[in-house]
Amino acid sequence: MKLLTHNMLSSNIKGVANGFPLRIEVEKATEKQVELNAGFLRNVFPMIEWKALVDAAQLPEVADSSMLDSDFLNKFHHALLELHLEKDALVCPETARRFPVSQGTPNMLLLEDEV
Amino acid sequence: MTTSVFPTCQLLHTCRPRPHLLHRTPGSTTSNRRQLTLAVTATTRAMEAERKNDGALKKGIAEFYDESSGMWEDIWGDHMHHGFYDPDSTVSVSDHRAAQIRMIDEALRFAGLSEDPTKGPKSVVDVGCGIGGSSRYLARKYEAKCQGITLSPVQAQRANALAAAQGLADKASFQVADALEQPFPDGQFDLVWSMESGEHMPDKAKFVNELVRVAAPGATIIIVTWCHRDLAPSEEALQPWEKELLNKICKSYYLPAWCSTVDYVKLLESLSLQDIKTADWSPYVAPFWPAVIRSALTWKDMTSLLRSVVELAGGGVGVWEWNRDEGHLYSFTVAGAGAPGFDLQVSGRWLPVPLILCSPFRKL
Repeated sequence: MKLLTHNMLSSNIKGVANGFPLRIEVEKATEKQVELNAGFLRNVFPMIEWKALVDAAQLPEVADSSMLDSDFLNKFHHALLELHLEKDALVCPETARRFPVSQGTPNMLLLEDEV
Repeated sequence: MTTSVFPTCQLLHTCRPRPHLLHRTPGSTTSNRRQLTLAVTATTRAMEAERKNDGALKKGIAEFYDESSGMWEDIWGDHMHHGFYDPDSTVSVSDHRAAQIRMIDEALRFAGLSEDPTKGPKSVVDVGCGIGGSSRYLARKYEAKCQGITLSPVQAQRANALAAAQGLADKASFQVADALEQPFPDGQFDLVWSMESGEHMPDKAKFVNELVRVAAPGATIIIVTWCHRDLAPSEEALQPWEKELLNKICKSYYLPAWCSTVDYVKLLESLSLQDIKTADWSPYVAPFWPAVIRSALTWKDMTSLLRSVVELAGGGVGVWEWNRDEGHLYSFTVAGAGAPGFDLQVSGRWLPVPLILCSPFRKL
């Protein structure tokens, strides 16, 4: 599971006020090379919840889009797309409910009483 | 038991009797219990319960198609229904458009409509018309006047725009209207056409009633729709696992409870329709889905993949990460159950993401 994915997901269990970001429990993190697409990165940057990405990877705490040249672009790309979390789980920040991740695929299915 | 989830695609065809004909030909039904059939209960009681949610359902349907129509058209063209294939054939997505047209022709043939365009229907209503693919095809084929209705303003607008662009504005016109209250007088149409829209109708009785009401004496009504398997004589309802599975799909696609082919036949018989025929076309639409999965390599195929992933992932409620490393989509997640959509950038274009995909997402 990429951090891009983690940055988009939220625990929407009934009654949860703020289910984002999910906490990450990770057993294994690997790196997979992904070709950098600057246009994509520039366009997705405003959608990213920066703090959540910072906490999940090592990035400067403050960022704005003017930084998206050179070195920072590479760091952003690496964190967003090249870090792969395997055999992990995502955890609801309020209820501690675990959403398992297997083979990089988080199962966000809510149970009937959670909807 | 396989939990492959191809819906049973049933075709119904009726001819409306001339008022003076009293005898009724019993329908010949070929309904099979198929291993691949998804099922959920859709007794009349269940349908009654759905009535309360109808307003929300209508709004959900309109929004769903408003949001996803453009993307769908990008991938599938202007027909928003399954293709008709030779069973067990291997097909690629490029065969799809021809197969969708074949679906229309097979339905017409099943209904016994003449191949001779001069003997065909002259006025057609397309109930649940999408962006008007069927209507424009029928308008061309029969030189008929076709009117389509849809709940989606975006679709109606697009349908009219396409008709104008193709020089068919005088033959094919579209408006926003509810199939349960069609804005047409009684007996207006020679051909009443419902191609894969019946599954959205929360009140099957009202739906069928309206189809019959607007049909002229001697007209033909063609319904191609998703049904669940017919219940065995000893069964009151579908199995719990079947209900559960289908429920998930219903949530994803803004579908009310399903009914069986036999339920439709009973409705049609109660309205004194003649020559009622049905067929199970599951084998002919089944090749559609593996083809989609295999060939899902581009954004253009993405939505169809997502829809099928939603279905094939045992009812469509997990989050699936899709990796694409060619400047297209980088990461995408899929889940069932609608929630407001969001925009994702793909190859420089911002596209609305269909409502089916957004349950576990934060607001963007």
